[in-house]
Amino acid sequence: MADLRLVLVTPEKTLFDRPVASIRVPMFDGSAGIYPGRAPLVGRLGIGELRLLGNDGVNESYFIEGGFIQIKGEQVSVLTGAAIDAAKISRKSAAEELEKATAEKASSDEEAAIQARKLERARKLVKMATVD
Amino acid sequence: MANARLLVKRLKSVRNIRKITRTMELIATSRFKKAMDRATEAAEYTKKISEIVGDLGKANLKFSHPLLQERTETKKSVLLVLTSNRGLCGGYNGAVLRNTLRHIRQLNQDGVDYSMEVSGKRGIKFLNFQKIAMEESYTHFEDSPTFAQVDEIGSRYVEDYIAGRIDRLDVAYTSFQTISRQTAVIETLLPLSSLSEGSTEEVASGSGLGPDYEFHPSAEEILAEIVPAAFRAKLFKCFLDAAVSEQIARMVAMKGATENADEMAGSLKQQYNRARQAGITSELAEIIGGAAALE
Repeated sequence: MADLRLVLVTPEKTLFDRPVASIRVPMFDGSAGIYPGRAPLVGRLGIGELRLLGNDGVNESYFIEGGFIQIKGEQVSVLTGAAIDAAKISRKSAAEELEKATAEKASSDEEAAIQARKLERARKLVKMATVD
Repeated sequence: MANARLLVKRLKSVRNIRKITRTMELIATSRFKKAMDRATEAAEYTKKISEIVGDLGKANLKFSHPLLQERTETKKSVLLVLTSNRGLCGGYNGAVLRNTLRHIRQLNQDGVDYSMEVSGKRGIKFLNFQKIAMEESYTHFEDSPTFAQVDEIGSRYVEDYIAGRIDRLDVAYTSFQTISRQTAVIETLLPLSSLSEGSTEEVASGSGLGPDYEFHPSAEEILAEIVPAAFRAKLFKCFLDAAVSEQIARMVAMKGATENADEMAGSLKQQYNRARQAGITSELAEIIGGAAALE
Protein backbone atom coordinates (compact mmCIF):
# COMPACT_ATOMS: atom_id res chain seq x y z
CA MET A 1 0.00 0.00 0.00
CA ALA A 2 2.30 2.65 -1.18
CA ASP A 3 -0.42 4.85 -2.56
CA LEU A 4 -2.30 7.66 -0.99
CA ARG A 5 -5.46 9.14 -2.35
CA LEU A 6 -7.02 12.33 -1.10
CA VAL A 7 -10.73 13.02 -1.46
CA LEU A 8 -11.77 16.48 -0.32
CA VAL A 9 -15.54 16.78 0.02
CA THR A 10 -17.68 19.77 0.95
CA PRO A 11 -21.48 19.69 1.17
CA GLU A 12 -21.62 21.38 -2.20
CA LYS A 13 -19.15 19.37 -4.21
CA THR A 14 -16.11 17.15 -4.34
CA LEU A 15 -13.22 19.54 -4.71
CA PHE A 16 -10.37 17.14 -5.01
CA ASP A 17 -10.02 13.46 -5.81
CA ARG A 18 -6.51 12.49 -6.85
CA PRO A 19 -3.58 10.37 -5.73
CA VAL A 20 -1.06 12.40 -3.76
CA ALA A 21 2.36 11.84 -2.17
CA SER A 22 1.66 13.28 1.27
CA ILE A 23 -0.87 15.40 3.12
CA ARG A 24 -0.79 17.71 6.09
CA VAL A 25 -4.10 18.42 7.79
CA PRO A 26 -5.10 20.76 10.61
CA MET A 27 -6.51 18.54 13.34
CA PHE A 28 -8.53 20.06 16.19
CA ASP A 29 -5.43 20.12 18.37
CA GLY A 30 -2.67 20.74 15.89
CA SER A 31 -1.24 19.75 12.60
CA ALA A 32 -0.96 16.14 11.48
CA GLY A 33 1.00 14.66 8.60
CA ILE A 34 -0.12 11.68 6.58
CA TYR A 35 2.08 9.46 4.47
CA PRO A 36 1.15 6.31 2.60
CA GLY A 37 0.54 3.37 4.88
CA ARG A 38 -1.01 5.40 7.71
CA ALA A 39 -3.09 3.38 10.17
CA PRO A 40 -6.88 3.80 9.87
CA LEU A 41 -8.11 6.90 11.62
CA VAL A 42 -11.27 8.87 12.19
CA GLY A 43 -10.67 12.33 13.51
CA ARG A 44 -11.98 15.82 13.95
CA LEU A 45 -10.45 18.68 12.05
CA GLY A 46 -9.84 22.23 13.06
CA ILE A 47 -9.60 25.43 11.09
CA GLY A 48 -6.50 25.92 9.02
CA GLU A 49 -4.43 24.90 6.10
CA LEU A 50 -4.63 21.57 4.36
CA ARG A 51 -1.41 21.09 2.49
CA LEU A 52 -0.69 18.37 0.05
CA LEU A 53 2.25 17.29 -2.01
CA GLY A 54 1.16 15.94 -5.35
CA ASN A 55 2.79 12.98 -7.07
CA ASP A 56 4.32 15.47 -9.47
CA GLY A 57 6.04 17.24 -6.58
CA VAL A 58 3.82 20.29 -6.66
CA ASN A 59 2.49 21.69 -3.41
CA GLU A 60 -1.12 22.69 -3.15
CA SER A 61 -3.00 24.09 -0.23
CA TYR A 62 -6.58 24.68 0.79
CA PHE A 63 -8.11 26.58 3.63
CA ILE A 64 -10.54 24.32 5.46
CA GLU A 65 -13.00 25.01 8.21
CA GLY A 66 -13.51 22.15 10.61
CA GLY A 67 -14.99 18.83 9.64
CA PHE A 68 -13.77 15.28 9.76
CA ILE A 69 -11.07 13.08 8.38
CA GLN A 70 -11.31 9.41 7.67
CA ILE A 71 -8.29 7.35 6.70
CA LYS A 72 -9.08 3.92 5.40
CA GLY A 73 -6.36 2.01 3.63
CA GLU A 74 -5.00 4.23 0.92
CA GLN A 75 -7.97 6.56 0.85
CA VAL A 76 -8.04 9.72 2.90
CA SER A 77 -11.41 11.44 2.98
CA VAL A 78 -11.62 14.97 4.27
CA LEU A 79 -15.11 16.27 4.94
CA THR A 80 -15.37 19.93 5.63
CA GLY A 81 -18.03 22.63 5.72
CA ALA A 82 -16.07 24.95 3.50
CA ALA A 83 -12.81 24.71 1.60
CA ILE A 84 -11.11 27.49 -0.31
CA ASP A 85 -8.19 27.13 -2.67
CA ALA A 86 -5.31 29.03 -1.07
CA ALA A 87 -4.51 30.68 -4.38
CA LYS A 88 -7.92 32.37 -4.27
CA ILE A 89 -7.76 33.95 -0.84
CA SER A 90 -7.30 37.66 -1.17
CA ARG A 91 -5.35 39.61 1.41
CA LYS A 92 -7.78 42.45 1.35
CA SER A 93 -10.93 40.49 2.09
CA ALA A 94 -9.15 38.43 4.74
CA ALA A 95 -7.95 41.59 6.47
CA GLU A 96 -11.44 43.00 6.29
CA GLU A 97 -12.82 39.88 7.90
CA LEU A 98 -10.31 40.07 10.71
CA GLU A 99 -11.16 43.69 11.29
CA LYS A 100 -14.85 42.89 11.43
CA ALA A 101 -14.34 39.99 13.82
CA THR A 102 -12.16 42.12 16.06
CA ALA A 103 -14.67 44.94 16.13
CA GLU A 104 -17.48 42.67 17.32
CA LYS A 105 -18.42 42.93 20.94
CA ALA A 106 -19.50 39.79 22.71
CA SER A 107 -21.84 40.16 25.64
CA SER A 108 -22.31 36.53 26.60
CA ASP A 109 -20.24 33.38 26.78
CA GLU A 110 -21.79 31.96 23.64
CA GLU A 111 -21.17 35.13 21.71
CA ALA A 112 -17.60 35.18 22.95
CA ALA A 113 -17.13 31.62 21.70
CA ILE A 114 -18.53 32.54 18.30
CA GLN A 115 -16.29 35.57 18.15
CA ALA A 116 -13.25 33.53 19.10
CA ARG A 117 -14.06 31.13 16.30
CA LYS A 118 -14.45 33.95 13.82
CA LEU A 119 -11.19 35.50 14.96
CA GLU A 120 -9.35 32.23 14.57
CA ARG A 121 -10.77 31.79 11.11
CA ALA A 122 -9.88 35.32 10.07
CA ARG A 123 -6.33 35.09 11.44
CA LYS A 124 -5.69 31.84 9.62
CA LEU A 125 -7.11 33.34 6.47
CA VAL A 126 -4.84 36.35 6.72
CA LYS A 127 -1.88 34.08 7.25
CA MET A 128 -2.69 32.03 4.22
CA ALA A 129 -3.65 34.83 1.87
CA THR A 130 -1.45 34.94 -1.18
CA VAL A 131 -3.10 37.21 -3.71
CA ASP A 132 -4.00 40.86 -3.36
CA MET B 1 -64.83 38.23 -42.80
CA ALA B 2 -64.77 39.72 -39.31
CA ASN B 3 -64.75 36.22 -37.99
CA ALA B 4 -61.64 35.34 -39.98
CA ARG B 5 -59.82 38.42 -38.73
CA LEU B 6 -60.62 37.54 -35.13
CA LEU B 7 -59.27 34.06 -35.72
CA VAL B 8 -56.04 35.45 -37.13
CA LYS B 9 -55.60 37.55 -34.02
CA ARG B 10 -56.15 34.61 -31.70
CA LEU B 11 -53.86 32.43 -33.76
CA LYS B 12 -51.12 34.99 -33.43
CA SER B 13 -51.47 35.26 -29.68
CA VAL B 14 -51.51 31.48 -29.27
CA ARG B 15 -48.32 31.25 -31.28
CA ASN B 16 -46.69 33.94 -29.17
CA ILE B 17 -47.60 32.13 -25.98
CA ARG B 18 -46.22 28.94 -27.44
CA LYS B 19 -42.91 30.68 -28.04
CA ILE B 20 -42.80 31.73 -24.40
CA THR B 21 -43.72 28.34 -22.98
CA ARG B 22 -41.28 26.58 -25.26
CA THR B 23 -38.47 28.88 -24.15
CA MET B 24 -39.37 28.40 -20.51
CA GLU B 25 -39.29 24.66 -21.04
CA LEU B 26 -35.79 24.86 -22.48
CA ILE B 27 -34.57 27.11 -19.69
CA ALA B 28 -36.07 24.81 -17.06
CA THR B 29 -34.35 21.85 -18.72
CA SER B 30 -30.93 23.44 -18.54
CA ARG B 31 -31.49 24.63 -14.98
CA PHE B 32 -32.68 21.19 -14.02
CA LYS B 33 -29.46 19.67 -15.29
CA LYS B 34 -27.42 22.12 -13.26
CA ALA B 35 -29.47 21.56 -10.13
CA MET B 36 -29.25 17.82 -10.64
CA ASP B 37 -25.46 17.95 -10.89
CA ARG B 38 -25.29 19.90 -7.66
CA ALA B 39 -27.55 17.42 -5.92
CA THR B 40 -25.39 14.49 -7.04
CA GLU B 41 -22.25 16.22 -5.88
CA ALA B 42 -23.82 16.94 -2.53
CA ALA B 43 -24.84 13.30 -2.14
CA GLU B 44 -21.16 12.43 -1.83
CA TYR B 45 -20.88 14.38 1.43
CA THR B 46 -23.91 12.69 2.95
CA LYS B 47 -22.52 9.33 1.92
CA LYS B 48 -19.20 10.01 3.61
CA ILE B 49 -20.92 11.22 6.77
CA SER B 50 -22.90 7.98 6.94
CA GLU B 51 -19.68 6.08 6.40
CA ILE B 52 -18.01 7.76 9.34
CA VAL B 53 -21.09 7.22 11.47
CA GLY B 54 -20.83 3.56 10.51
CA ASP B 55 -17.20 3.52 11.58
CA LEU B 56 -18.16 5.08 14.89
CA GLY B 57 -20.77 2.38 15.29
CA LYS B 58 -18.02 -0.21 15.21
CA ALA B 59 -16.50 1.37 18.28
CA ASN B 60 -19.37 -0.03 20.37
CA LEU B 61 -20.62 3.42 21.00
CA LYS B 62 -24.04 4.26 22.26
CA PHE B 63 -25.61 6.78 19.97
CA SER B 64 -26.79 9.54 22.18
CA HIS B 65 -26.83 13.20 21.39
CA PRO B 66 -29.24 16.02 22.25
CA LEU B 67 -30.31 16.19 18.60
CA LEU B 68 -31.21 12.51 18.55
CA GLN B 69 -33.30 12.56 21.69
CA GLU B 70 -37.01 12.62 21.28
CA ARG B 71 -38.83 14.95 23.63
CA THR B 72 -41.51 13.40 25.77
CA GLU B 73 -43.77 16.35 25.16
CA THR B 74 -43.83 18.49 22.07
CA LYS B 75 -44.65 22.02 23.09
CA LYS B 76 -43.14 24.12 20.39
CA SER B 77 -42.61 23.01 16.85
CA VAL B 78 -41.26 24.75 13.81
CA LEU B 79 -42.53 24.11 10.32
CA LEU B 80 -40.25 25.11 7.49
CA VAL B 81 -41.99 25.28 4.12
CA LEU B 82 -39.95 25.27 0.94
CA THR B 83 -41.72 26.69 -2.10
CA SER B 84 -40.53 28.40 -5.24
CA ASN B 85 -40.10 32.08 -5.89
CA ARG B 86 -41.69 31.86 -9.30
CA GLY B 87 -44.87 30.30 -10.53
CA LEU B 88 -45.75 28.48 -13.74
CA CYS B 89 -44.55 25.18 -12.44
CA GLY B 90 -47.72 23.15 -12.39
CA GLY B 91 -48.78 21.61 -9.11
CA TYR B 92 -45.41 22.04 -7.45
CA ASN B 93 -46.32 24.74 -4.93
CA GLY B 94 -49.90 23.60 -4.60
CA ALA B 95 -48.93 20.15 -3.40
CA VAL B 96 -46.49 21.45 -0.79
CA LEU B 97 -48.96 24.04 0.50
CA ARG B 98 -51.81 21.53 0.67
CA ASN B 99 -49.63 19.35 2.86
CA THR B 100 -48.72 22.37 4.94
CA LEU B 101 -52.34 23.27 5.61
CA ARG B 102 -53.13 19.72 6.62
CA HIS B 103 -50.17 19.71 8.96
CA ILE B 104 -51.22 23.00 10.52
CA ARG B 105 -54.70 21.63 11.14
CA GLN B 106 -53.17 18.59 12.81
CA LEU B 107 -50.96 20.78 14.99
CA ASN B 108 -53.95 22.90 15.99
CA GLN B 109 -55.86 19.76 16.92
CA ASP B 110 -53.00 18.50 19.06
CA GLY B 111 -52.68 21.88 20.69
CA VAL B 112 -49.05 22.27 19.74
CA ASP B 113 -47.65 25.75 19.57
CA TYR B 114 -45.99 26.22 16.22
CA SER B 115 -44.16 28.81 14.24
CA MET B 116 -43.96 28.95 10.47
CA GLU B 117 -40.93 29.68 8.41
CA VAL B 118 -41.43 29.95 4.70
CA SER B 119 -39.03 30.11 1.81
CA GLY B 120 -40.26 31.25 -1.60
CA LYS B 121 -42.57 34.05 -2.68
CA ARG B 122 -45.32 31.65 -3.73
CA GLY B 123 -45.65 30.16 -0.28
CA ILE B 124 -45.47 33.55 1.40
CA LYS B 125 -48.28 34.93 -0.78
CA PHE B 126 -50.45 31.90 -0.18
CA LEU B 127 -50.05 31.96 3.60
CA ASN B 128 -50.65 35.70 3.71
CA PHE B 129 -53.89 35.07 1.87
CA GLN B 130 -54.82 32.34 4.34
CA LYS B 131 -53.96 34.74 7.16
CA ILE B 132 -51.46 32.37 8.69
CA ALA B 133 -48.75 34.18 10.60
CA MET B 134 -45.17 33.55 9.59
CA GLU B 135 -42.21 33.94 11.88
CA GLU B 136 -39.61 34.16 9.15
CA SER B 137 -39.72 34.32 5.40
CA TYR B 138 -36.92 33.88 2.94
CA THR B 139 -36.86 34.76 -0.70
CA HIS B 140 -33.14 34.54 -1.34
CA PHE B 141 -33.05 30.83 -2.08
CA GLU B 142 -32.96 30.62 -5.84
CA ASP B 143 -32.31 27.62 -8.05
CA SER B 144 -28.97 26.93 -6.45
CA PRO B 145 -29.00 27.41 -2.70
CA THR B 146 -25.48 27.50 -1.26
CA PHE B 147 -24.49 25.57 1.79
CA ALA B 148 -23.53 28.73 3.64
CA GLN B 149 -27.05 30.14 3.21
CA VAL B 150 -28.69 26.97 4.44
CA ASP B 151 -26.18 26.57 7.21
CA GLU B 152 -27.18 29.90 8.68
CA ILE B 153 -30.71 28.63 9.22
CA GLY B 154 -29.52 25.17 10.20
CA SER B 155 -27.21 26.45 12.93
CA ARG B 156 -30.04 28.42 14.44
CA TYR B 157 -32.25 25.33 14.59
CA VAL B 158 -29.49 23.30 16.19
CA GLU B 159 -28.97 25.96 18.84
CA ASP B 160 -32.68 26.35 19.50
CA TYR B 161 -33.21 22.63 19.74
CA ILE B 162 -30.36 22.03 22.14
CA ALA B 163 -31.44 24.97 24.26
CA GLY B 164 -34.97 23.53 24.37
CA ARG B 165 -36.60 26.48 22.64
CA ILE B 166 -38.04 24.15 20.02
CA ASP B 167 -39.06 20.53 20.40
CA ARG B 168 -39.54 19.58 16.81
CA LEU B 169 -38.63 20.71 13.32
CA ASP B 170 -40.63 19.65 10.29
CA VAL B 171 -39.83 20.52 6.74
CA ALA B 172 -42.48 20.58 4.05
CA TYR B 173 -40.83 20.23 0.67
CA THR B 174 -40.89 18.23 -2.52
CA SER B 175 -38.61 15.27 -2.28
CA PHE B 176 -36.89 14.06 -5.38
CA GLN B 177 -37.07 10.33 -5.96
CA THR B 178 -36.47 9.86 -9.64
CA ILE B 179 -36.67 12.16 -12.62
CA SER B 180 -40.26 11.12 -13.23
CA ARG B 181 -41.27 11.00 -9.59
CA GLN B 182 -41.27 13.74 -6.99
CA THR B 183 -43.62 13.88 -4.06
CA ALA B 184 -44.50 16.63 -1.66
CA VAL B 185 -43.67 15.40 1.83
CA ILE B 186 -43.40 16.62 5.40
CA GLU B 187 -40.32 15.28 7.06
CA THR B 188 -39.35 15.56 10.69
CA LEU B 189 -35.70 16.60 10.79
CA LEU B 190 -35.41 17.23 14.52
CA PRO B 191 -35.19 15.05 16.49
CA LEU B 192 -33.01 13.29 13.97
CA SER B 193 -34.40 9.83 13.38
CA SER B 194 -31.30 8.27 11.93
CA LEU B 195 -27.86 9.49 11.11
CA SER B 196 -27.16 7.42 8.07
CA GLU B 197 -29.30 6.31 5.17
CA GLY B 198 -29.63 2.88 6.71
CA SER B 199 -30.65 2.50 10.33
CA THR B 200 -28.02 2.78 13.02
CA GLU B 201 -28.53 -0.77 14.25
CA GLU B 202 -27.76 -2.07 10.84
CA VAL B 203 -24.53 -0.15 10.78
CA ALA B 204 -23.62 -1.20 14.28
CA SER B 205 -24.15 -4.87 13.50
CA GLY B 206 -21.38 -4.69 10.94
CA SER B 207 -18.77 -4.58 13.69
CA GLY B 208 -15.72 -6.74 13.35
CA LEU B 209 -15.50 -5.99 9.65
CA GLY B 210 -13.28 -3.35 8.16
CA PRO B 211 -10.22 -1.69 9.62
CA ASP B 212 -9.71 -1.06 13.29
CA TYR B 213 -9.91 2.70 13.59
CA GLU B 214 -7.99 5.00 15.76
CA PHE B 215 -10.23 7.82 16.99
CA HIS B 216 -8.83 11.21 17.50
CA PRO B 217 -10.21 12.60 19.80
CA SER B 218 -12.49 9.95 21.32
CA ALA B 219 -15.37 8.45 19.38
CA GLU B 220 -17.85 10.23 21.67
CA GLU B 221 -16.41 13.62 20.87
CA ILE B 222 -16.46 12.95 17.16
CA LEU B 223 -20.06 11.86 17.46
CA ALA B 224 -20.92 15.10 19.23
CA GLU B 225 -19.58 16.98 16.22
CA ILE B 226 -20.88 14.75 13.50
CA VAL B 227 -24.53 14.76 14.56
CA PRO B 228 -25.01 18.48 13.84
CA ALA B 229 -23.04 18.04 10.62
CA ALA B 230 -25.35 15.23 9.56
CA PHE B 231 -28.37 17.38 10.36
CA ARG B 232 -27.03 20.29 8.32
CA ALA B 233 -26.28 18.01 5.40
CA LYS B 234 -29.82 16.67 5.61
CA LEU B 235 -31.34 20.13 5.70
CA PHE B 236 -29.20 21.15 2.75
CA LYS B 237 -30.41 18.10 0.86
CA CYS B 238 -34.01 19.24 1.42
CA PHE B 239 -33.23 22.56 -0.23
CA LEU B 240 -31.43 20.90 -3.13
CA ASP B 241 -34.25 18.41 -3.61
CA ALA B 242 -36.77 21.23 -3.65
CA ALA B 243 -34.73 23.11 -6.26
CA VAL B 244 -34.43 20.08 -8.52
CA SER B 245 -38.10 19.22 -8.17
CA GLU B 246 -39.12 22.78 -8.98
CA GLN B 247 -37.25 22.70 -12.26
CA ILE B 248 -38.70 19.33 -13.18
CA ALA B 249 -42.21 20.51 -12.34
CA ARG B 250 -41.72 23.61 -14.47
CA MET B 251 -40.28 21.58 -17.31
CA VAL B 252 -43.26 19.22 -17.32
CA ALA B 253 -45.81 22.02 -16.98
CA MET B 254 -44.27 24.01 -19.82
CA LYS B 255 -44.03 20.95 -22.04
CA GLY B 256 -47.74 20.39 -21.52
CA ALA B 257 -48.48 24.04 -22.24
CA THR B 258 -46.44 23.96 -25.45
CA GLU B 259 -48.27 20.87 -26.65
CA ASN B 260 -51.60 22.47 -25.85
CA ALA B 261 -50.63 25.60 -27.76
CA ASP B 262 -49.65 23.47 -30.76
CA GLU B 263 -52.98 21.74 -30.73
CA MET B 264 -54.87 25.00 -30.33
CA ALA B 265 -52.93 26.69 -33.12
CA GLY B 266 -53.76 23.73 -35.39
CA SER B 267 -57.49 23.89 -34.76
CA LEU B 268 -57.53 27.69 -35.05
CA LYS B 269 -55.71 27.51 -38.36
CA GLN B 270 -58.27 25.02 -39.61
CA GLN B 271 -61.15 27.21 -38.46
CA TYR B 272 -59.55 30.21 -40.12
CA ASN B 273 -59.11 28.36 -43.41
CA ARG B 274 -62.73 27.27 -43.35
CA ALA B 275 -63.92 30.79 -42.62
CA ARG B 276 -61.77 32.18 -45.42
CA GLN B 277 -63.03 29.57 -47.89
CA ALA B 278 -66.60 30.27 -46.83
CA GLY B 279 -66.00 33.97 -47.47
CA ILE B 280 -64.62 33.30 -50.95
CA THR B 281 -67.49 30.96 -51.79
CA SER B 282 -70.12 33.42 -50.70
CA GLU B 283 -68.43 36.24 -52.65
CA LEU B 284 -68.35 34.06 -55.77
CA ALA B 285 -71.99 33.17 -55.28
CA GLU B 286 -72.83 36.86 -55.04
CA ILE B 287 -70.97 37.69 -58.28
CA ILE B 288 -72.56 34.79 -60.12
CA GLY B 289 -75.93 35.73 -58.70
CA GLY B 290 -75.42 39.35 -59.76
CA ALA B 291 -74.39 38.34 -63.30
CA ALA B 292 -77.35 36.00 -63.59
CA ALA B 293 -79.70 38.82 -62.57
CA LEU B 294 -78.35 41.05 -65.39
CA GLU B 295 -79.10 38.54 -68.12
